[in-house]
Amino acid sequence: MAVARQTLSIADIPAVQLAAARRRLAQAERPERRFALTLVSPAVLVLVVTTTFPLLYLLSQSLQDINLAMPGMDHYVGFENYRRMAGDSRFWAALGFTGVYTVTTVALQLVIGLGMALLILQIPRAQWAFRIAAILPIVLAPVVAGLFWRTLMLTPDFGIVDYALRAAGLGSRNWLGEPGLARISVIVIHTWQWTPFVFLYLLAALAALPSDLYEAARIDRASAWRRFIHITLPLIRPAIVVVAILRITIALSAFAAIYAATGGGPGTATEIVNLYSYRVAFAELSLGYGAAAAVVLLVLTLVVAGLLFRIRRAQ
Amino acid sequence: MSRRFLRNPILVALGVVLLAVWTVPILWGLLTSFKNEKEVLAYPPRVLFTPTLDNYREVLFGPTNIVPNLTTSLIVALGTTLLTVAIAVPAAYAFARLRLRGKRALGFYVLATQLVPPIGLIIPYFLILNRIGWMDSYRGLILIYLTFSLPFAIWLLVSYFEDIPREMEEAALLDRASRLQALWHVVLPQARGAIAVAVIFVFLNAWNEFLFAVVLGGARVKTVTVSMYNYINTEQTQWAQLAAAALIAMLPVIVLGLAAQKHIVHGLTAGAVKGVGRR
Repeated sequence: MAVARQTLSIADIPAVQLAAARRRLAQAERPERRFALTLVSPAVLVLVVTTTFPLLYLLSQSLQDINLAMPGMDHYVGFENYRRMAGDSRFWAALGFTGVYTVTTVALQLVIGLGMALLILQIPRAQWAFRIAAILPIVLAPVVAGLFWRTLMLTPDFGIVDYALRAAGLGSRNWLGEPGLARISVIVIHTWQWTPFVFLYLLAALAALPSDLYEAARIDRASAWRRFIHITLPLIRPAIVVVAILRITIALSAFAAIYAATGGGPGTATEIVNLYSYRVAFAELSLGYGAAAAVVLLVLTLVVAGLLFRIRRAQ
Repeated sequence: MSRRFLRNPILVALGVVLLAVWTVPILWGLLTSFKNEKEVLAYPPRVLFTPTLDNYREVLFGPTNIVPNLTTSLIVALGTTLLTVAIAVPAAYAFARLRLRGKRALGFYVLATQLVPPIGLIIPYFLILNRIGWMDSYRGLILIYLTFSLPFAIWLLVSYFEDIPREMEEAALLDRASRLQALWHVVLPQARGAIAVAVIFVFLNAWNEFLFAVVLGGARVKTVTVSMYNYINTEQTQWAQLAAAALIAMLPVIVLGLAAQKHIVHGLTAGAVKGVGRR
């Protein structure tokens, strides 16, 4: 049977009917919108009260001189805290080390994590052992990771890292007591704890890649390195970007592991802005000044996150 | 193991080294926790020794035992988890499934709160909780824990809710079930697994938290992560007791982490993976 197929387009419906239909649809949606609002509002209200309100309070406190040693003497000082900070070399050092810490830990995590994922992909049958081993550092509380490294691993003579290096003829070093070594140590600790995470994430991304691409490349006798550069890397770039964003934001809010390992010392050598702000506020008791440092970190985090999200969207 | 791999001893060695690097600090802690003070400070470090349970006895039953701290952590982590799930589940469902004006903006707001560095919150909380008398209290700590657990749980659950097929829910709505009934009787049972994953990770993060607990806690509310410092003082660190206490404290999260093994990657990347407000 040859029936002419009739297609209805929206242009065939009279305008009046269309308007009525739209109105009915909007009316039908109204309960849904109201229901959605009811479900979302508790969460939004709680977040406004617990996050936004304290942050506004932080902003106002950063304009105050608050010294816990002198209660009742709080007063408004305008941008004095920020002016003081601009001339404080310790603040600039903390900001600089925050940059070094973030860039090096994230770069190391990505390079080692990706390398390990590629390596472990070659041994399907032993993957479970690596997956389980990878979980351990990830679930460990950062403060415990910091304390374990400070005592069991890095203590001169008795820590096994120091022992191993001494046995290898490299000599004992004061890993957390010398500024340069302490900086390297806290970077190593963060990298140790979080590389397994990058590994697991990229392993999942790699395992999901289509295998026929590789077979085609293998038939073309492409070398392993060229297969990696031209096939693997472009395909998992989105995954690398996502995990990099995540690791950068986490590195920027790092605290407990450094606190436990060095407390920001020796002196102020391993102070990232978090520790600087904490020590100024709670050890030196000038909360207004500490608040100003926290505001700087907040702005820095939001700017970096904004840039990263823009990069991700552009991809 | 593939033959190609075994043929390359360098790769095998590298794999073994990596495995060792990840596990050695924890395994060495385990070993240390069974040593007496003399063994701990033996040089060279000993792998073979007569194990003792003294450290565990001291940490669990001694004068500075961590049992009250474990209880405190349990109360704080459970309280945080219950509140978070109760608030996050409905919100995540609405974000994933329902029409709502300004949803993109609200979703973005929730995501942005997740980025707030903890140090930016601890100073105002310290001042505010002091003023309202909530320092060293469970409610004060649970309140600030919501700042990281809530955005995290909402985004984790949104990504799972988006994957639940709509058919059953739509059928229930056609059968004249109210939206609330459909959510309660149809969607929630389907989301049970997702909620379990959210519970595990919220609990894990709350249990491991340190900065908020050390500043806002005190003698009454002292979580187990803070109590690790019982074994460290300026004169001397009791390594073996520290190791025993740390391993007991970490046992729950290690068990949870291994139980949720398959979800750990998804669980810890919630929010970063999915875009905001896709509908």
